[in-house]
Amino acid sequence: MSKRESEHIDGFYRHGDNAYVVQLSESEREVLTNLVEQILELLGERADKHVDDPLAAMVGITSHDSPPEDDVLLRLLPNAYADQVDASEFRRYTESTLRSKKYGHSMSMRITLKTAIDGIIEVDHDGANDWLGAMNDIRLALGVRLKVEQTNHEELELLAPDDPLRGVYAVYNWLGWLQGSLIDALMDEDI
Amino acid sequence: MVKLDEKIEEAIKEIFSDNSPWVTIIWDDPVNLMSYVTYVLMELFGYSREKAHELMMKVHTEGKAVVSTGSREEMEHDVARLHEYGLWATLQRGDQAL
Repeated sequence: MSKRESEHIDGFYRHGDNAYVVQLSESEREVLTNLVEQILELLGERADKHVDDPLAAMVGITSHDSPPEDDVLLRLLPNAYADQVDASEFRRYTESTLRSKKYGHSMSMRITLKTAIDGIIEVDHDGANDWLGAMNDIRLALGVRLKVEQTNHEELELLAPDDPLRGVYAVYNWLGWLQGSLIDALMDEDI
Repeated sequence: MVKLDEKIEEAIKEIFSDNSPWVTIIWDDPVNLMSYVTYVLMELFGYSREKAHELMMKVHTEGKAVVSTGSREEMEHDVARLHEYGLWATLQRGDQAL
């Protein structure tokens, strides 16, 4: 289970009909901004890598029909088919749309962080969904780097104090807790 | 000379008619929170909390679950939306072994 690494034990809470609020410290906002900007950069790099054919770009076709070589990008932009030929064809027509949607989620989160007054983050339902998608992309990225797939949590808990991954794991857990609190706040209204 | 009997004719028709349904599958993933998977299924597919929870538990315990069924185009749309929210989803013909 995720440990609570923050001094704010409340996380997101629902405020009124369509607002979800959390107070974040300056360092927490810095960490989140830094991470979300790395996701934006990663998605941007992938976008820049293909030769621009204006007509193809206009109809949303990218020249990317092979999966990303980077493990993090591959997790963010996964294959839709087990069959490689079908997967390539699907990717060619849809990857740029997927990238721009993810870019949109992360950009929305970044803007909220940059415009927060007194560290108070307030989002509506759509903004909350952007945050969930963006926080999830960050967790997926960190998860790949931490090898969460192959490593069990006990091993990660036992990382040496000077191991840089120990800090990454703490951030990963904290993000999971923050994301979980937003989901709880959103699900509350359906009861 | 090859002769078609009714059975073969039927089988050939089946091959070309392409009306066998397609399915969207979500695969288990160690990063995605259980509550997040439930929430995304409710939000994207309009499933009840009970149905979304049940499907999420199936993914969690069995490693995968079919979360929607329909035409190939519909399933491609569903997979794209699940990818947007970071779920690990694929589509395939419904009659293929899971």
